[in-house]
Amino acid sequence: MSEQVHNRLAMVRAERKVSRQSLAEAVGAHYQTIGYIERGQYNPSLDLALKISKFFNLPVEALFSLEPFRPLTDEVYGRNQP
Amino acid sequence: MTTTRLTRYDRSMLRLMNDRRGQALYSTAARRRLTVAVHIALTVAIGGLMTHFFLAKGEPLWPAVAMVVLLLPWMVATGIINGATRGLLELREHVLDERQSAERSRVVTRAHRMTTLLLAAAATALLITGGVDGDAPKAYAAPLLIAVLVVHWIMPLWVAGLWAQDEPADVETPEAGALGH
Repeated sequence: MSEQVHNRLAMVRAERKVSRQSLAEAVGAHYQTIGYIERGQYNPSLDLALKISKFFNLPVEALFSLEPFRPLTDEVYGRNQP
Repeated sequence: MTTTRLTRYDRSMLRLMNDRRGQALYSTAARRRLTVAVHIALTVAIGGLMTHFFLAKGEPLWPAVAMVVLLLPWMVATGIINGATRGLLELREHVLDERQSAERSRVVTRAHRMTTLLLAAAATALLITGGVDGDAPKAYAAPLLIAVLVVHWIMPLWVAGLWAQDEPADVETPEAGALGH
């Protein structure tokens, strides 16, 4: 029943130099939960997804998607998908 | 998890259950299975000694002493399982986050199913024994009921211990005590 929700959390978190522990404390989750979300082993609730997005000051669709994300280099340099 | 203010008890329990100093004891599935197996064996032994102590008349105190001695490793094994599950069953509901709450519900559901099967097996055994020896159900009902009650109480812990996952290698483990929200 549960559908895979793709996310860019690990990349954004690394880019912003935020530890899992800090993010977890900020959004009221366990640090392991952040790890499970990053590896796609747990789909966050809308509430948690919005809290994470708010923490990074990004729209939720920048972090979570039902479709796999394109590589960032493709998006930045405009390469078309094969 | 943070919508309700945590009490001092909650914070201390959270720190205790997330203390990583004993991580080596439950870092692999094999170690967790072994711990649960030891915990089951100790529970059975303590239960057996307790039954012997209360049912046998005029016996010396050795079963009670042995029971107290076994309680120490039993408590250590309980602590290891709780550490492996990060206090999934020990922490209060409002301390858990949404994933942990869902996990706790799954564990309790699985434990309930297993206890139901165990109860059915116990009832069947009691009925069959009663068919062979009419006095047997009366004689065994009380110890069996207590045994099933104990299993019903501890089963979620065993299930949680068996279903706990490895700490992923890429997870940054926080310093002990860094979880004081």
